Amino acid sequence: EDALLPAPQNISILSINMKHFLTWSPVIVEGETVRYSVEFQGEYEREYANESWIPICECSLITATVCNITEDISATVAYNLRVRADVGASRSEWGTLKGFFNRITTSLTPPLMKVIADGYHLLVELEDMGPAFQFCVLYWKKGQESRMQQKVVKEVSSVVHLDTMEAGPDYCVKAQTYVETINRSSSFSQTQCVRAQGGRSMWL
Amino acid sequence: TAGNKIFHFGPCRISMSMTEIRSGFTAIKANIQARDPIRTLSILSHPHSLHKVKSSDRCCITYHLFNFYVDKVFKHCKTEDSYVNRKISSIANSFLSVKRRLGQCHEQNKCVCGQESAEKFKQILANYEGLNVISAAIKSLGELDILLDWME
Repeated sequence: EDALLPAPQNISILSINMKHFLTWSPVIVEGETVRYSVEFQGEYEREYANESWIPICECSLITATVCNITEDISATVAYNLRVRADVGASRSEWGTLKGFFNRITTSLTPPLMKVIADGYHLLVELEDMGPAFQFCVLYWKKGQESRMQQKVVKEVSSVVHLDTMEAGPDYCVKAQTYVETINRSSSFSQTQCVRAQGGRSMWL
Repeated sequence: TAGNKIFHFGPCRISMSMTEIRSGFTAIKANIQARDPIRTLSILSHPHSLHKVKSSDRCCITYHLFNFYVDKVFKHCKTEDSYVNRKISSIANSFLSVKRRLGQCHEQNKCVCGQESAEKFKQILANYEGLNVISAAIKSLGELDILLDWME
């Protein structure tokens, strides 16, 4: 195997809401299909297993320039990642991610939510973001922010009942996510307000 | 949820993503246990189960066991199966995080080791060293749920 093939460049991580993707720039070889293979190395491998690397078989000899590494980044430690290119019998050197990746740095976005007034019942529907996520939901009577109430939602079921409303005032809700394994929270979602109106749902 | 669990060993408080570790182990348990032909011996439970450990010794035993798995066991469990190797890496890296936190407790004298825990751990090491290293490592990995159940 000669290593004339250039190693992949611009290797970076895209990590949002605990979903982690390795991306890189394509290696261009006129008239040829370039394939890529990805490997990872956790802190354990560096310190206790002779700096060994572990291949990700779903990203072995792929043509895409992105690899979902979420399942393998499953501890809150520093990971190394690398990718190389293959064309026919030619194989490049490894291109390695600059610096380590620790899932603690993932970007956490506010959760999508839908607030529903079902008669006098204040309900919220939360986006299912996966098992790593809990939600902190705050709700209050408009104008009474000081009497804000909180509900922690650990398992996303279809709809969460927050409160029984009085007729007349608006009720407002906002939510944020919390990821226990990295002990971090997202910022709050936009506030949504609804009002109870007899038996009919009412959106504001 | 991802089931981070907070373990309180006296003054030592350890957060651990138990669900992630358990799901990683469950994914490979049958594969690993099938590689262990010696069904009559146990590393962790012979002659006494971990459940006989006094609560005051639990932190130290846990500290020793996490060091044991990180220092001795995982590195000898490499298989020809890439999927199994990835799951072992996931467990090993999670154990490394917990081992560090337990180590901090130990350094701050929040995880004191008494005579009984030393004896208990010596017995576990003797069980381990009574087998060849690969068999001992595979058996220890196959018994991981004994440790996790005991911790929980």
